Amino acid sequence: MERDLALLIPEISILVTVVLALIAEMLRMPRTALIITVAGLFLATILTLSLLGVDTTIFGGTFRIDMLSVWAKLILLPASILSLLLARAELAGSDREGTVYVLICLVSLASILMAGVGDSMLLVLGILLSGLASFALVAYPRNDMATEAAMKFFVFASVATSVMIFGLSYWFGGTGSTLLSELARLDTSPVIAVIGLMAVIIGLGYKASLVPFHFWAPDAYEGAPLSIAAYLSVVPKIGAILAFAQVVRDIPMVTAWPLIIAVIAAITMTYGYLAALVQKNVVRLLAYSSVAQAGYFMLGVVAVGASTLALQSLIVFSAAYAAMNLGAFAITMQVGRSLDDFHGVGRTKPLLGVAMVVFLLSLTGIPPLAGFVGKFLLFGAAIDAGFLWLTVVAILNSVLSLAVYLRIMVPMYQQQSKNEINEVISAPLIRLVWIIALLFTVGIGLSAQLLLAQLS
Amino acid sequence: MYPIVSITVFLPLLGALLVLSMRKAPPQAVHAIGIITSGFTLLGALIMWFRGVNETGFAQLEQIDWMPSIGAAYRVGVDGISLPLVLLTALLFFVTFIYSSKVRKQSHAFVALMLLLETASIGAFTALDAILFYVFFEVSLVSMYFMIAEWGHEDRQRAALMFFIYTFLGSLPLLLAILGLYLGSDPHTFDMRVWISNPPLDGMAATLALVAMLITFAVKTPVFPFHTWLPAAHVQAPAAGSVILAGVMLKFGTYGLIRFALQMTPDAFREAGLVILGFGVVAALYGAFAALAQTDLKRLVAYTSINHMGYIIVGVAIAALASDPAIRAIALDGSVLQMISHGLVTGALFLLVGMLQDRAHTREMDQFGGLLKVVPVLGWSFVLAAFASLGLPGLAHFPAEFQIFLATLQVEPFAIIVIIGIVITAGLYLRAIAQIFLGEVGDKWTTTTMADLSYRELLALGPLLAFTIVLGVAPAWVLDVIHKTTSALQF
Repeated sequence: MERDLALLIPEISILVTVVLALIAEMLRMPRTALIITVAGLFLATILTLSLLGVDTTIFGGTFRIDMLSVWAKLILLPASILSLLLARAELAGSDREGTVYVLICLVSLASILMAGVGDSMLLVLGILLSGLASFALVAYPRNDMATEAAMKFFVFASVATSVMIFGLSYWFGGTGSTLLSELARLDTSPVIAVIGLMAVIIGLGYKASLVPFHFWAPDAYEGAPLSIAAYLSVVPKIGAILAFAQVVRDIPMVTAWPLIIAVIAAITMTYGYLAALVQKNVVRLLAYSSVAQAGYFMLGVVAVGASTLALQSLIVFSAAYAAMNLGAFAITMQVGRSLDDFHGVGRTKPLLGVAMVVFLLSLTGIPPLAGFVGKFLLFGAAIDAGFLWLTVVAILNSVLSLAVYLRIMVPMYQQQSKNEINEVISAPLIRLVWIIALLFTVGIGLSAQLLLAQLS
Repeated sequence: MYPIVSITVFLPLLGALLVLSMRKAPPQAVHAIGIITSGFTLLGALIMWFRGVNETGFAQLEQIDWMPSIGAAYRVGVDGISLPLVLLTALLFFVTFIYSSKVRKQSHAFVALMLLLETASIGAFTALDAILFYVFFEVSLVSMYFMIAEWGHEDRQRAALMFFIYTFLGSLPLLLAILGLYLGSDPHTFDMRVWISNPPLDGMAATLALVAMLITFAVKTPVFPFHTWLPAAHVQAPAAGSVILAGVMLKFGTYGLIRFALQMTPDAFREAGLVILGFGVVAALYGAFAALAQTDLKRLVAYTSINHMGYIIVGVAIAALASDPAIRAIALDGSVLQMISHGLVTGALFLLVGMLQDRAHTREMDQFGGLLKVVPVLGWSFVLAAFASLGLPGLAHFPAEFQIFLATLQVEPFAIIVIIGIVITAGLYLRAIAQIFLGEVGDKWTTTTMADLSYRELLALGPLLAFTIVLGVAPAWVLDVIHKTTSALQF
């Protein structure tokens, strides 16, 4: 028991942070709440470092401390810290500002629980916790749009989660246990295994916004404060995708799960970018782009168990995606939500322009940026696992994605007439966030070895 | 021993950073940095040239671990195929910097992008690691996109977009092929030397990888029917961009064809040799006929590029089909020399078209007339470059094309129909010269004064024309280097 708790120390410290921040909020000290949450998450990250290289399970196999879950913490916690700073820049001075920080910490906690999931009940817990906190975050502005977005999100999530719980009951019935590691026993009863698999795909698919369970995402991102949209598009999504990797490890092959997930991945990538191609609102464009990027993640999930590159590629791409997507959202916060707002920005704000170009090129997967290394490894993993066709689909989609991201990049460098100069709001915190994201986007690309050496 | 290859590759990048760091500097200073940096890079390339190449394999190797856990490293080096291309690249960038030192629009960004492009280009030719090659390959794409989009002519945005999407789409199959070769090699590595000495794929896998690589390099070269981006990009690109695009970046296609397709999947290449030969013949003839139909001088030069690159494809295909090592070496010698000649001659032609456009603000050939009397130096330079381009003996293209045709006759005699291309290009260049430089001086040019070449322009053009003649009269000093590698190739 003591051993289990000792291994759970990062999660526990987040929980303590949440309680302390909540107290600060009750005392109407939002600034203190921010400081507590940032410091708490930072401490949790540091504490996680001691777990590097550990590969074990705790509480009777329900929670896994392995490469995936440890790296999930190392990636998601810093990403959450950056999101906290973005939220501060956007929501400072609003009512109940501190609750935002508390809720963000709760979603982060739920996401890292998902990334280490070893038991179907823990999976349900993670999805519910992150869902409940996310609804509140989306609804935070309390205007019509945010309320509507949160409502859609809530209804969609409730249905998806219920279906998942229903399907998981089949697994429980079939194996007599909620442990994922017992799933191998379903080898002889493929129908039960498939029903449970479908349920998990629906539940996690909604969280990771895979097509066709993505409908809530663009609306929620558009209605929510931008910093929250940035956060939701990174942390819970990566948590859900890593949970996918944890679950499929144990599903018996009779279900042909790699093929099912591969088909979903192909549809997700293609639909996401096609939809992004016609958006006029940058937030919706980035929302659909993050849907499509979830499809790329699935290339790594498909290869779990079949290729040694699978877990490495998932982790590297998670880090890359967190950096570049947060960066792109941060710049959107500063520039504006409409494509027209980007007109000529690259000329008036050269550094900001270069940073945005770097984020978008990295999202496309152009070397030597982080997104390239991540996608390259994902492609390698998928080919290694025998999914050449899926890689071809992914590569074709990269071209589509270039067309999507150029829709932001091209106007940035067009001449603008004197009277329509768009005022870029200056916000040192947002600037700090995208500069950090920029350093990581370039750094992960150039020195991927630092990451890879830890992963092999 | 200094790591001269790496210095040559990264010197321009340092220059680019320097330019970006001094935002207040006047344009003249920025251009001076560009010229000096590319001058030192040229010096580096010359030192590489004098250090020379080995009889077998790669010389001047430099290696640093990069991502050892997946077998990727920073590896650079040269052989007889890449070394002349490095020298050509350094020379072309140097003269382009001299020529474009008049650019005043965002000169900081212009010089920085050009320098980045130079690093990417030299890097692509010297990279001996597939990932490294791909990185340089794509970086060159991005910088050229911004070059066209920002400093191009009327319809630049559309042309830049088309160029970017087309060649990006084209480069992705290469990524697939690289992954295939990586997963096929045992132990897994991205070391191109290993892939060359011991081709990792065979059978169906090799054929698939070859097809993927052929798509990439066919778009880049470009080969009919993947060429449609080229005229659009060339016409809209600034003169400096055109010179680099035609002189250096098209060579990625043919260099990749030899380095990747031919050397890494040799058996599959041999089986597909006739098909590739067919594409080469069609490209050469199509380029010539399409050029014949142009009225815009820049489009004309762009289409003759397709024609000249077609000969290179023919040469490489013939090399694969030849069973006699001597003939194979002749075909490859011709192909590699053709890359160099084309870089020099087309570089000069695009510079000249740019100079004409600066003066006349048009590229339509029927708008000119009798310019030889108005601007004799420019006129005679154009005549010289045009004669070189149509393959006149004594000028750069002749020894290259001669060797290609010689080998073709001995291996696949029917393919010699490609020689019709020479006749057509001769015709169209003579027509262009007649329209622009001969006859009565057009009304427009009698009233307005048109200045002849300035020192800056002469300085840019001179080296290219001089090398065009030197290479035509005495090609041996380059051929010896090329031949050292091509005669030792085992496949």
